[in-house]
Amino acid sequence: MTLSTSMQATTLSPRPKAGTMDRNIRILGAILAVASLFAIWTTLSITVRPWVPTPYDTVLAMGRHLTSQGFYANLFLTLGRIAAAFLAASVIGAALGIAIGMNRKVEAFFQPLLAMALAVPDPVFIIFAILALGTGEAAGFVALTLAVAPFVSNIVRSSVQARDKGLDEMTRIYRIPSDKAFWVSLVPQLVPALLTAARFSFALSWKLVVVVEAIGQPDGIGASIFHSFRLLRMRDVVAIAILFILLMQLLEKGVLGRLEKRLLRWRQ
Amino acid sequence: MTGTSDTVLKVEGLQVSYGSIPAISSLDFEIKRGEFVAILGPSGCGKSSMLNVISGLLPPTRGVVEVDSRPLYDAGRHAPKLGYVFQAHRLLPWRTVKQNLELVLAASDVPRDQWEDNIDRLLDILHIGQFKNSWPMQLSGGQRQRVSIARALLVEPSYILMDEPLSTLDEVTARSLRQELSGIWARTGATIVFVTHSIREAVYLADRIIILTRGPSTVFENYHVPIARPRAYDDPRIAEVEADIIRRVEHAWGLDPIKQSEVA
Ligand SMILES: Nc1ncnc2c1ncn2[C@@H]1O[C@H](COP(=O)(O)OP(=O)(O)OP(=O)(O)O)[C@@H](O)[C@H]1O
Ligand SMILES: [Mg+2]
Repeated sequence: MTLSTSMQATTLSPRPKAGTMDRNIRILGAILAVASLFAIWTTLSITVRPWVPTPYDTVLAMGRHLTSQGFYANLFLTLGRIAAAFLAASVIGAALGIAIGMNRKVEAFFQPLLAMALAVPDPVFIIFAILALGTGEAAGFVALTLAVAPFVSNIVRSSVQARDKGLDEMTRIYRIPSDKAFWVSLVPQLVPALLTAARFSFALSWKLVVVVEAIGQPDGIGASIFHSFRLLRMRDVVAIAILFILLMQLLEKGVLGRLEKRLLRWRQ
Repeated sequence: MTGTSDTVLKVEGLQVSYGSIPAISSLDFEIKRGEFVAILGPSGCGKSSMLNVISGLLPPTRGVVEVDSRPLYDAGRHAPKLGYVFQAHRLLPWRTVKQNLELVLAASDVPRDQWEDNIDRLLDILHIGQFKNSWPMQLSGGQRQRVSIARALLVEPSYILMDEPLSTLDEVTARSLRQELSGIWARTGATIVFVTHSIREAVYLADRIIILTRGPSTVFENYHVPIARPRAYDDPRIAEVEADIIRRVEHAWGLDPIKQSEVA
């Protein structure tokens, strides 16, 4: 009898003491994953000799890039392109998502277009943008915005439609001007969706920017990866890729993660 | 109580349906300036729907609702100053208690230099002064509801609609708030429409109780409370009137009267 009640208590209490064990399991899992990845990599570098660089060679190459000027020049170019595409896609996507979520007529017009845009594979946007606009900066920017904005719009739209209508009624009763109600009542409800959209849009942006650079730009991280690939310098391909991915992860976790904590602090 | 007897709120042939499902079949009543009216009716009979129509949030399916001799739904900027304690608290969770209250004050006519004092005074009356800078998430259900009451009173409305505002409170707090509410009503002369499930509460507070039938509802009875003010909650006459009302609705609501009375 006592046993069953104490068991019930453990199962019912939210997230019991297992928290630390949970974390240990996760850390152990991560260590094992990295170790096995490393083992596979080493094995491959021995068996597929010229094409897969050894981890040691790769680390050396990473060091070389980190101390070269060219790497940073390319990196900042790419970061600029990512920032432009990310911002444009986020702002356009969010604005469109809000408009569609608030207005049935806007929804009726845009929703089919967005469904089509979402069905188009991203490389198609890139190829057509390059065909239409040439290999300048504009092509990549337009292709990326077209590819990413619909995702953002979709996430934001469903959040707008799922908003608490009771709060709309409250702001009406207390005659809060609609522009103010938009910022104090609607937008904060969208914050979780906007953050998800930002995460998503950022991840999609940096991956696509690299593709665009590889296909159609003379400079940037994607271009230098592709350049090294054409010269069959595989250790550089892997080194640049790893450095770039690490930096992107850092940005995502650091900047977006911190922003999320700050914006959602009222949830405790 | 206030002496004036002009009708300020008129409901005529009001019908409300959600899709093809009727919630209110036909309501007719009038409310005078400064009157305290309680609404009693079984759960689901359309009380909240009625308040939504009176507040202008919901268009009537049929019939007319006039406030200050104007059809309410398209009153626009002539719409009367209203305080509405919703059945759910409807606070903005990302604003502290104080910020929630300042939001509605900013849209009201209350001069800014009075905000702080008014907020402090009301929160004290409602026994939630220490939560002024808390997030709504940190409050209990009853505390949130009291913030919602404070919000409705702060804008100095001429009409106050209250949808079971005290139902989430313990009896001791509820008694204290009933008394405060009675005092605020007497001081401000506001017209109050007060939905409740507690018959005793209705008898204690109201000049008149509009008793509704089961939904889709009509007015079952306009019951004038024959007790002079000031009233005491434990006055045996209140218990008598309560018993009388229970006898009347017992048959109409078709339920075990004990369950309906929510004897305090
Ligand atoms: N938005 C809505 N859509 C459809 N039906 C609704 C809606 N709101 C209320 N109803 C229905 O209308 C009827 C009246 O609802 P209402 O909320 O007005 O009742 P109530 O008298 O306030 O009940 P309670 O005492 O339980 O709060 C109910 O049958 C309910 O199911
Ligand atoms: Mg209700």
